[in-house]
Amino acid sequence: MSNPVVEASPAAPAVTWQEGEALARKASARTRRKRLALLTAGWAAMFLIWQLAAYYLPFGVLPAPLEVGEVMWDIVVSGAFAENFFASVGKTFLGFVVATAVGAPIGYLMGRYDYWKAFFHDGVTVAGTIPALTYAVLSLIIFGISDLGPILSVALVSVPFVAINVAEGVRGVDQSLVRMSQAFGRSSRQIRREVFVPTLVPYVFAAIRMSFAVAWKVEALTEVFGGKNGVGFQIRSEYQLFNIDGVLAWMCLFIIFMLIVERLVLRKLENRVLAWRPEERVGK
Amino acid sequence: MTATIPTRRSTEEQASAIPSWRRVLGSEVAARVTFYVTAFLLWVALAAAFERVPGPLSVVDSLVTEFSRGEVFSNFADTFYRFTIGVALSVIVGVVVGIVMGLSGLARAFFESPVLVGLSIPAIIWAFLTVMWFGFGDASPIVTTFLTAVPFVIVNVAQGVQGVSRDLRDMSSSYGVPLGRRVRDLVLPAVSGYVLAGVRFAVIIGWNGVLLAEWFGGSGGAGFRARYWYDANQFAGFAAWVILFVVVIVVLDQLVFERMARRAFRWRDAAHS
Repeated sequence: MSNPVVEASPAAPAVTWQEGEALARKASARTRRKRLALLTAGWAAMFLIWQLAAYYLPFGVLPAPLEVGEVMWDIVVSGAFAENFFASVGKTFLGFVVATAVGAPIGYLMGRYDYWKAFFHDGVTVAGTIPALTYAVLSLIIFGISDLGPILSVALVSVPFVAINVAEGVRGVDQSLVRMSQAFGRSSRQIRREVFVPTLVPYVFAAIRMSFAVAWKVEALTEVFGGKNGVGFQIRSEYQLFNIDGVLAWMCLFIIFMLIVERLVLRKLENRVLAWRPEERVGK
Repeated sequence: MTATIPTRRSTEEQASAIPSWRRVLGSEVAARVTFYVTAFLLWVALAAAFERVPGPLSVVDSLVTEFSRGEVFSNFADTFYRFTIGVALSVIVGVVVGIVMGLSGLARAFFESPVLVGLSIPAIIWAFLTVMWFGFGDASPIVTTFLTAVPFVIVNVAQGVQGVSRDLRDMSSSYGVPLGRRVRDLVLPAVSGYVLAGVRFAVIIGWNGVLLAEWFGGSGGAGFRARYWYDANQFAGFAAWVILFVVVIVVLDQLVFERMARRAFRWRDAAHS
């Protein structure tokens, strides 16, 4: 535990409060620098392990990072990257649209009525534990090799997330606000639009952020089994050709893309959407 | 809720106004039963609408044949052997790394990126890579299970350790309590629930991993058998295996882990409700 305040050595006691503040600022800058160095060290260690493994393992088992980097560069330059990621992102997005359209009403019912809560409870919990493989292959059986399969599997995976979060949100709606609106004779439609929906939007958003990682993986998995294009399809083709560097290159692109979307896009958007709420987010 | 203010009645009056048949149908048990009936009807409807979706009768039929041939137990024995080793490894490694990450901010900075990368690698990639590296055999499913599950255990445990009372941690560090005692007396009791949640995640995610690796690495097991029927275009046989996968994981999750989780979080939930 490195706590600059607790563990700071009392060698140079601050005389005035300005000095104290300067010392504290210096200590926090030092921790920040240390953190940054270790963050870099984490990445460096990963590459080092990869490089060493590539060097010591028999030839062809694990290509070195640089070789994979070259393949990645080729993929990006040839335009295959943009084309396939665009296709996959489109399908994931459509899947989310379907999941929100189906999951939000289910969550609303679950949050408001005990009957529907009991009705959907088992389905939602079971749907959350089913292995992704099942969704991928079931979508394939239903739709065959088409773009609809990945959309369906994304929707199936995300619906429980959306439903659970929206239910949580409905239960979190300020009841005194609802009662006041009723007392002032607002119609139930107005209450729904002015009280419930604004409270629920952030929950839907949180659900999508939470399920993005899972959904994105399932989308790729479904494409592996029966896609015509997309990241998963490319990974599958490289695997069938036994191109380890091809698989690794697509994997790295997949990870980079996912980290960018998750860390930069979704988190920023969420912060903006949730900016009006001072209390911390509700999440699992 | 209408535009006019509803006339107020006591809850007892309201309850007695509901006819008894509605009370029975509106009970939670009835809701659950209705759900299962609806889901079953949905399945029948889907089977009727799509030619490729097998109906309940043919699925039960192939389930019975698989059981009578003894395929179910031998394949699940293989799968469970690999699954157990993979999950056990991921729990051991995950708990150790998670505790280190939770206790020290510097360790957290170091491990943050590798864990993040690990979280974002899908099981299918590990399945492909391990099949290409280790060939067909036990190694590929075990390693896939381990690698897919371990980041989730780490994240859960680290979160639990960070949640340990800040005051107690600061106090023990200012009084110079040795690390071993800090872990044993302060961290472990508070963290057991999170460790359990991590194990639960590992089980759910590892189950998917082991099945995928078996699907692509042809050396027996539940995933392999499901693929066998899938490749033969016998979707009834495939669906029978899907039902087995789902039943196994749901039983494991709901009957075993749900109860353990409730026990482990007793101290926390009791305080809140």
